[in-house]
Amino acid sequence: MKTVLILGERAVREAKRTPDALLPTLLIPIFFLIVNTGQAAKIFPTGSTPFLEGQSYAAFQLPATLLLAASFGTAALYLVEEIENGYFDKLRATPISRGSLAMGRLSAEALKSTLMTIVILLIAFPFGIRIASGPIGVVLLVILTAGWAVGYSGFLQFVALKTRNAAATNSAGLIFFPLLFLTPNFVPRSLLARPMEIAATLNPVTYMMEALRSLILVDLDWVVIGKGFAVVAGFVLITVFVNIKTMAKYD
Amino acid sequence: MTPSTDSFASEPTNSVPAISARGLVKTFTGRSGTVEAVRGVDLTVRQGEVFGFLGPNGAGKSTTVRMLTTLTGITGGTATVAGIDVAKDPDGVRHRIGVALQEAGLDMRQTGRELVVLQARLFGLSRADASKRAEELLELVELTDAADRLIKGYSGGMKRRLDLASALVHRPDVLFLDEPTTGLDPASRLVVWDEVRRINAKGTTVFLTTQYLEEADQLCERLAIIDDGKIVTEGTPASLKADLKARRGLESDPTLDDVFLDVTGRQRERRAGEVSEVAS
Ligand SMILES: Nc1ncnc2c1ncn2[C@@H]1O[C@H](COP(=O)(O)OP(=O)(O)O)[C@@H](O)[C@H]1O
Ligand SMILES: [Mg+2]
Repeated sequence: MKTVLILGERAVREAKRTPDALLPTLLIPIFFLIVNTGQAAKIFPTGSTPFLEGQSYAAFQLPATLLLAASFGTAALYLVEEIENGYFDKLRATPISRGSLAMGRLSAEALKSTLMTIVILLIAFPFGIRIASGPIGVVLLVILTAGWAVGYSGFLQFVALKTRNAAATNSAGLIFFPLLFLTPNFVPRSLLARPMEIAATLNPVTYMMEALRSLILVDLDWVVIGKGFAVVAGFVLITVFVNIKTMAKYD
Repeated sequence: MTPSTDSFASEPTNSVPAISARGLVKTFTGRSGTVEAVRGVDLTVRQGEVFGFLGPNGAGKSTTVRMLTTLTGITGGTATVAGIDVAKDPDGVRHRIGVALQEAGLDMRQTGRELVVLQARLFGLSRADASKRAEELLELVELTDAADRLIKGYSGGMKRRLDLASALVHRPDVLFLDEPTTGLDPASRLVVWDEVRRINAKGTTVFLTTQYLEEADQLCERLAIIDDGKIVTEGTPASLKADLKARRGLESDPTLDDVFLDVTGRQRERRAGEVSEVAS
């Protein structure tokens, strides 16, 4: 556990030293928030759109923004770099558990995502976006998003460990498109066309998005929140498990 | 020189060897078929010596080192390092060894000091002890002035020395150096040699691979020559030269180069003036 933090601290240092990698992860999601809101806000006016629960369309879009920001982890690419230049072998030659080796960078992704979520919320508040579920809701929102960041970076890190190749790892990152867009990210699930609704229902990310959205728009709706957390917990468990397995067998 | 120091020095001889390998085999299986990188290597390295592992490119030096340092699985045979079975207790081995690999892979986004401190902390030192140890080691390898600069800006020689320092954080019993001077300019090479001698003088066993015969001659008490995955000869630099001289009835003293060419079968090609090397 301690070694996870030691390696995590180093990954945070690494992130601080590459602000040019960090800045776009903040700017791109905010860009999409502004653009998407700008395009659709007139179709969905606050007063006459029940699913907005009295907030602006930007509030409805916020979950997609948060998930997008949490999908830009650098753990996998830095790992490939480290494998290629040989530093990874140096770390492997130390007597730390293979689990710590797998979790070091992922713990930093959790921290980065937490900070990122807070920054995005701070940017959103002046525009009238409110978190209907209050302070507890904010905490849950941060945890849920950080969980997604760990799971998603974990998935990419797993690909990196398997392929040891930057191009393959980058391509794996494209899975993000179906995962984030086969969701009710523009309108609620009930308003989607039938095929799209089926796809969204099958996509686990939908439940995360709905959980985040209910925290922002509704209040503490434990059933919806529970589904979101179940999805994130399952995702994190699976990715962490395969990471540790792969790390232990790494040759 | 006095009899008392002599008997003192001979004490560890009957203790556990620093490294022992029996029938070590490594086979890589890939898309392009299988490669037998190491084909039955036997080694005994005594505690406190500098042992040279000499061989041409692709002979299997790095693969042997990677097996002995727990970085890659052992296909066949057994090995112990510091008396611990490599396959059965890799973590036990990791606690006792220092490793500086051929690529001198370092994290370019850390400073030299951060890298050494991190390494020390991964070996269980507290934050305070780790910084103290880093200070000592950076001084040992003469990197105190550059310690707080990013490694990205280090020269090749500085990187090697930093790698060496970071391999010593936990005062390992056995230090593995895979081609520590390949690609270095002559001056940096001498600095590394000095450091290896200093480290060894403190009692650390050093297992060093090299393609440079002069390096083996300068540093190693004993050496083994590996070619095509197999050890072809073994001994002290002097005994190997003497053997060859006697066997061939040479008049002048042969160099380690001559021994190397003799045992790797590369002499005839050279004599015949063939340009291409036989990749037997
Ligand atoms: N990961 C690997 N996969 C396949 N072949 C390998 C791998 N590593 C080394 N080899 C092969 O094993 C042989 C020995 O390599 P190596 O141990 O690196 O030699 P040396 O260090 O003496 O130059 C070479 O033929 C090399 O191509
Ligand atoms: Mg090599």
